[in-house]
Amino acid sequence: MTHAPELADRLAEVVGPRGVLRRPAELVVYRSDGLPGYSKHPRLAVFPRTRDELISVVRLLAEQGVPFVPRGAGTGLSGGALADDVVLVGLNRLTRILSIDPVERLAVVEPGVVNVALTRAATPYGLHYAPDPSSQAACTIGGNVAENAGGPHCLKYGVTLNHVRAVTAILPNGEIVRLGNAEGEADGYDLLGAFIGSEGCFGIALEITVRLSPNPQAIRTLLADFTSVDAAARATSEIIASGIVPAALEMMDGATIRAVEASIYAAGYPVDAEAILLIELDGLEAGLEADVARIEAMCATAGARTVRVARDDAERARLWQGRKKAFGAMGRVSSHLVVQDAVIPRTRLPDVLATIHEIAQRQRITVCNVFHAGDGNLHPNIGYDANDPDEQARVQAAMREIMAACVAAGGTITGEHGIGLDKIEYMNLIFSDESLAAMCRLRDVFDPERRANPGKVVPVHSCREWHGAPRAAWSA
Amino acid sequence: MARRTEGGVERVTASPANAGSRGAFAETAGASAMPSHTTLRPTSVAEAREIVRDAMTHNTPLRIVGRGTWLGAGRPVGATRHVSLEGLTGIVDYTPGDLTLTARAGTTLADIARATAVHGQWLALVPWGGDAGSLGATVATATAGPVGDGLGSPRDVVIGLEAVAGSGEVVRGGGRVVKNVAGFDLTRLMVGAWGTLGILTEISVRLRGLPECETTLAFPVPNASAPLAGFVTRLRSAAIAPLALEILSARLSAQLGLGESGVVIARLAGNADAVAAQRDALAALGDVAEVTGDVWTALRTADPTDATVVRFSSQVARFPELWLAAERLVAAGGGHAHASVLRSSARVVLPHNAGAPSEAALELLRGGSRDTRIFERLPTTLWPVLAPSRVTDRLSQGIRNAFDPHRLLNPGILGETQA
Repeated sequence: MTHAPELADRLAEVVGPRGVLRRPAELVVYRSDGLPGYSKHPRLAVFPRTRDELISVVRLLAEQGVPFVPRGAGTGLSGGALADDVVLVGLNRLTRILSIDPVERLAVVEPGVVNVALTRAATPYGLHYAPDPSSQAACTIGGNVAENAGGPHCLKYGVTLNHVRAVTAILPNGEIVRLGNAEGEADGYDLLGAFIGSEGCFGIALEITVRLSPNPQAIRTLLADFTSVDAAARATSEIIASGIVPAALEMMDGATIRAVEASIYAAGYPVDAEAILLIELDGLEAGLEADVARIEAMCATAGARTVRVARDDAERARLWQGRKKAFGAMGRVSSHLVVQDAVIPRTRLPDVLATIHEIAQRQRITVCNVFHAGDGNLHPNIGYDANDPDEQARVQAAMREIMAACVAAGGTITGEHGIGLDKIEYMNLIFSDESLAAMCRLRDVFDPERRANPGKVVPVHSCREWHGAPRAAWSA
Repeated sequence: MARRTEGGVERVTASPANAGSRGAFAETAGASAMPSHTTLRPTSVAEAREIVRDAMTHNTPLRIVGRGTWLGAGRPVGATRHVSLEGLTGIVDYTPGDLTLTARAGTTLADIARATAVHGQWLALVPWGGDAGSLGATVATATAGPVGDGLGSPRDVVIGLEAVAGSGEVVRGGGRVVKNVAGFDLTRLMVGAWGTLGILTEISVRLRGLPECETTLAFPVPNASAPLAGFVTRLRSAAIAPLALEILSARLSAQLGLGESGVVIARLAGNADAVAAQRDALAALGDVAEVTGDVWTALRTADPTDATVVRFSSQVARFPELWLAAERLVAAGGGHAHASVLRSSARVVLPHNAGAPSEAALELLRGGSRDTRIFERLPTTLWPVLAPSRVTDRLSQGIRNAFDPHRLLNPGILGETQA
């Protein structure tokens, strides 16, 4: 019988006394992640400083049969890093970039390396790390791997899955495995592909080998403004159907534009527009202007008032800052913000956006749309006051309706934020019981005791989920 | 060949003489040694499930043969029941504006190419062996031809799939949209699993717009290590974004009508300006000739039947070494070789009729270097000598147990011990 205080002491022997948080007051900040409206209390939190400490921590937890939740920067938007009365393993101190190889165009990093820090380190070589979630200034590569994170530029360059070559992971039982092959083609089952996006349920990455991409020779960033969301949606569908693959194709609606322009992130967006498209083309200098001209024409045909091309890097950076900080800017509008995530076929953008608008009106809530239009990845964001039970109930009802509408349009319930805790209830909208059971069996291969991130991703009834730690007699 | 229909499942009893008479890469050489088998042809996922459930009941393993165009691949499969996917065909969903397509697994790549070309689109999977093969086989074997350089492999192109697992369940991963992180990734698991986890029944893929312009350039390569290294470095840093950049051995370039010595062929695409600029960038590197784009089709179908095919891959920096090793192997075995310059992956094709490979060739095939070797096609005689198992690790075994607990699907194809 290991009681919590004793476990904390034993963990402190591994990571030092300051690496373990056990008092409720110290743990307050770890009661939530990027998903509002939930508060879960970790029993304690442990912060290894090195790979060896992390291995010792996981092995100690395995020995004791204690469930745990891995956590990167806690920026996740689906509640994946919430720890409900279990141990939280914080990975944000494992921040070393172990190597950058400009010839192989590979970097090896620890899981706590911040996304943008890697790109910064690769810049002297003319390289960058392509997946760029909006939270890239804070989120970690380890968290990105767990969530299979995306970002605006994933339209052309692919998501995290397409940029990870190999992972050395520690499984929940303490076993260390190498997944993928950084030195050639991978063979056998795609264990790496299964691990990426497993939301911390399969183990913890100790070391991640990622591809670095050469910076494009030329970039053009366009801002097209529209007097209706519908016109911008139609322009998006046209551009995608044309076969041109922009590096990014983002949409922001009027409410979002005005929130951004009223904030410190003002980007010079036209405040009287009902929608803007931020379109980036990149690649070889030659031929880029021809594609710019085609896209300008398509936007104009769809009803754009103006299409302007950023004149220089400063203007381009400013246009992007408005987009990436839009979620922050919405903090001005309301006290809480749900950043939703769903994907629809791209031809369905106009009608699904109209449906979302109708749902918002009927439920008397405010929805701001800022999203990756190019791949149909919607982010309907709902600002509300979580202390108002009536409003909270309407927000929940609206979210369910929005998810149902996206699924009905042939889409899915998450494109890049993960299932976590927030989306579990929607899983059976898109997967049969047999598919969910198969996912559970896959999880059991990596973690038969289901101690890693218990209660996440797959609904309880499908997995006959963890009902309290089986061997964990550590409850006081 | 006897045919009869039973519960919606057409059964064909093939005699050894006409076994595998379909397709350019049908099983021919080994045909006389093949035991007679029953071929099952499901026409729906429900029938495919019935076949698996029946196999579970009677504990009879199944050999999944797709459209039967590439049966020499992999290792021996002990199964007298073959499951052909020729009856499971057709495009289920194609909205051109979405640039996605869903088709049943037995649909030929040719049918998909025809349907998408009408809308100026294509499925950028151009595996070895031509377009008579099925989408399902392409995905199950994760085969990517030269355009994998620029446009990704099946792992990147597949966005969702449906399969009948060896446990008799119909499972789905992913969906029909281009971005999706819902649930654990059954899709990635099935791609490249060689049918050992489930019989693929339906697959969704992302499409691309056909390029406005395309051109193929060929230029001679230095055939010594040091100049080759410099040449490769210049190629890699050139201002080009090729769909494919492939180096061909002398014999292969002769076979494709590209001259008597080794060449590099580059497939350039984009709008007119982009293609012209890339052509100029390559012209600056040496003596460039424009050749017909048909060489890519010829390359895909250049393997002799029943050849031994091995892919070697290495770190990019070691590419010159890799290529010289491939050429040595070809010199010893009498076949041909080609390699992706960008991915540093060589494909060595040794004809079976050249006799058993020499001891020197075997030594190279076995490796011993740090290179990764993947056996694409391997004649029976070489199985015992050269068949490292792909899936002996605990996790892979666990996954096999989770999805095919009775080892009914393609048992032995991954070189694993047969149950």
